[in-house]
Amino acid sequence: MSTDRRTMMKATGATLGAAAFARALAPLTEWTEDLSVEGFLQRHYKELSRDDMAAVLRRIEDQTREEYGASVHVEDVRPTPGVQFAYALNLSVCIGCRRCAKACHEENNHDRATNNSYIRVLEMSNGSLDLEHGNALYDHEVPAPGKFYMPVQCHQCDNAPCVKVCPVEATWKESDGIVVVDYDWCIGCRYCEAACPYHARRFNWTKPEIPAEEINPEQAYLSNRIRPQGVMEKCTFCLHRTRKGRLPACLEACPTGARVFGNLADPDSEIRWVLENKRVFVLKEDLGTQPRFFYFFDE
Amino acid sequence: MTKRLLALVLLAAVVGCDHGFADPSREFGPAVPDDASLHPVEVHVPTTLGVADTPLVDGQGRPIGVRCATCHGPEPTLSWAAEEGAPTTFHEAVDLRHGDLSCFACHVESDRTKLHLADGTPLELRDAMTLCAQCHGVQVRDYDRGSHGGMNGYWDRRRGPRDRNHCVTCHAPHAPSYGSVLPVHPPRDRYLEAPTAPGSHAEGGH
Amino acid sequence: MNTDSPASGTTAHAVLSYPQFLWKALGVATDGGPLFYGWMTALTAIWLVGVNAFAHQTVHGQGLTAMTDHVSWGMYIGNFTFAVGLAAGAVMMVIPAYVYKDKEMHDVVIVGEILAISAICVALSFVNVDIGRLDRLWHMIPGIGRFNWPVSMLTWDVIVLSGYLLINLHVVGYMLYMRFLGRTPDKKWVLPFVFLSIVWAVSIHTVTAFLYSGLGGRPFWNSAVLAPRFIASAFVSGPAFIVLALQLMNRLTAFKAGEGAVQTLIQILRVTALANLFLVFAEVFTEFYTGGSHVAAAQYLYFGLHGKNALVPWIWTAIACDVFAAIVFLTVDPKKNLWIIDVACVATLFGLWVEKGLGLIVPGFVPSTLHELVEYVPNMVEWKISLGIWALGLMIFTLGLKIAVAVFTDAMHVEEA
Repeated sequence: MSTDRRTMMKATGATLGAAAFARALAPLTEWTEDLSVEGFLQRHYKELSRDDMAAVLRRIEDQTREEYGASVHVEDVRPTPGVQFAYALNLSVCIGCRRCAKACHEENNHDRATNNSYIRVLEMSNGSLDLEHGNALYDHEVPAPGKFYMPVQCHQCDNAPCVKVCPVEATWKESDGIVVVDYDWCIGCRYCEAACPYHARRFNWTKPEIPAEEINPEQAYLSNRIRPQGVMEKCTFCLHRTRKGRLPACLEACPTGARVFGNLADPDSEIRWVLENKRVFVLKEDLGTQPRFFYFFDE
Repeated sequence: MTKRLLALVLLAAVVGCDHGFADPSREFGPAVPDDASLHPVEVHVPTTLGVADTPLVDGQGRPIGVRCATCHGPEPTLSWAAEEGAPTTFHEAVDLRHGDLSCFACHVESDRTKLHLADGTPLELRDAMTLCAQCHGVQVRDYDRGSHGGMNGYWDRRRGPRDRNHCVTCHAPHAPSYGSVLPVHPPRDRYLEAPTAPGSHAEGGH
Repeated sequence: MNTDSPASGTTAHAVLSYPQFLWKALGVATDGGPLFYGWMTALTAIWLVGVNAFAHQTVHGQGLTAMTDHVSWGMYIGNFTFAVGLAAGAVMMVIPAYVYKDKEMHDVVIVGEILAISAICVALSFVNVDIGRLDRLWHMIPGIGRFNWPVSMLTWDVIVLSGYLLINLHVVGYMLYMRFLGRTPDKKWVLPFVFLSIVWAVSIHTVTAFLYSGLGGRPFWNSAVLAPRFIASAFVSGPAFIVLALQLMNRLTAFKAGEGAVQTLIQILRVTALANLFLVFAEVFTEFYTGGSHVAAAQYLYFGLHGKNALVPWIWTAIACDVFAAIVFLTVDPKKNLWIIDVACVATLFGLWVEKGLGLIVPGFVPSTLHELVEYVPNMVEWKISLGIWALGLMIFTLGLKIAVAVFTDAMHVEEA
């Protein structure tokens, strides 16, 4: 083949290739609709000034209105000094009704299609704490004879493996003990999900879909605002409520009172009484995660 | 050489150290004074206290109750008993499944609008919790310390009040055993079917 | 391929001739016979299918894949792990070439380094398509983002993989460019980097192993033998691939590798294939002899668990391939029956791809940390993207070799003005 013809063929090939490449990437134009320059340039949560934070919150509120058709109020709720949260769960009293999981689903603006929740209730057999025989998909009257029920959610570990492994420090433990995620900083590598021993972390595999009338409008930046696609999320002990002194949604929904929550630093708190007077244990203690979520039986 | 090493160490320190908050004033929210007065705890007395169910139901299928005082009060009114469809046997719908207790273990025989403690002290119906506590001290201790019976409102009573249940809200006094319920639907994970291990018999959806 | 001093020196300017180098490289990269054009067109087509699938995945989220909250890493990370091993194994040529001064190996060591570059590109591509928010990758840049080094093993992985890519790009680029210019390469720009690449190759795969073995919540991975297993299998996959590549080059290009290089690699394979099998056996023994609930993942992989057994045929085929290959390397005389060795190389590459790829990642998640059994089978989107990335890797490898052959056969050299 002569050099000129060869060059012409190469040029044709290159043009066709470039066109094919552009066509292959065409779907990406849809993606850019969800992105913004400010969103792209936003710094890590800890590096934002008050004004930056206020602008971010406004932007989130505007985005929610645009994308979900709901007017919400997003705040940056910070810990109260001198508070250390802990949670205890009474396995003698839990009947496995899953109302805590449902309340979590509604409070935290989860994706409706997957019925996602941070709480997973395991039906266990009496006489064994082996998770191997637990079942999270029971669908019969509860409590069933010979079974007890163990809800599992994020334990806000003091030595959290998820915090250790995050490559960009998108998840960290705050001063009141809650392990939080900066949804606008997370890169979605899912290393934390691999590291967590309690199946506590959830990934937004798609963009969450929630009808406007079901959205809980009282939101916080680090907890229940509607998360974007491609980022991790987890139970935050309802910090938008608990940091203002209120009880978490799962506790309020529990009809039997199996859940106990409060401030470890307060010697008169209910949680301190439980830890001092009931025989409490934690899951997978040998892993050294030092959870802030305790289980106990009454008898 | 040493200068380069020092620069490297410094770089590692900058890169590796946990930076705190750029604006330290953002780290905490407002403090709550320790000596703030505590908000009250309100115990809801259920309207079912002092009401006996009859086999009759209203338009929405709820059982029609009769206040104990209607028959046992100072001025019993029995006119309703003559109406068509009224029950003919007293206490027909009272299902007594409370251990081996008899009616008068709790009710005052001469005045059925009152309860009595073990030593005979009379008790208003609304104060029934004291009576429950007599035998179920462990549960009431747990209740008082927050690990039984639930609550709504604030964990931090310096900042808000709290509502509690009455014993009778969950435990009907004549048949106090907590019944079974149908749970909320299981999670709809992709690809998770019910485990087929022996001993677990639930069928999950796909 | 003689990489020693060229026939004649030149006086071309070292820096200003670089654009000419790139331009001529582009020419070489797009020149070839019908087989070359057919090969590259097919690879490009596969790659574009992958790009399109990736675009869809970026827009609609990773929900398009078969991954779930129970099995949150799958095809991409499995392939990533295998590709890092391939890149690390490429260094097996460097040791005999530079440490033992094996002349015939020295001539072909650049093939290993080009394989390292291609495999690292493949590995980095696999990691990037697995990231949920690619637009936020800048968050990892130390200084302007937040780089959780030294605590997060992923940050170590970023450093070592990028470093390994740069080292090999430098060595290959420098050698090619010096030859292009007709100059003798200056040893001080080559030897330290080459020796560094030996240590660095071990580090890339050790760090990748530590990513998994440091997680207490995943007992299948939380084993001390994982890092040695990774190194052993890397040193099987790398040489096996190069044995095949060298023979293909002899057949299809103007370059003729000496027989000695292939023989040395097969000698290496004899040892490393056995070492790999031994470490797998050590792991399997410990799991099954101990028993208990921590063996659930290994049980799922090898025998199935509670009726779920999607991986069982794969892992046993892989083990069979590895055993077959080990026996062949030990018993077959490469001078007489090289074709059986080639079959063994293909077999062991497949076996390792299963055993270290999906066969390592998926059982780490099955059963989940709450002991729930969710199986994972990659779907079309993941296949398309994965094949697309491998096609890209093969393209880089082909072009790299093509340019290297052209330069070292003096078909591509600087033209002084």
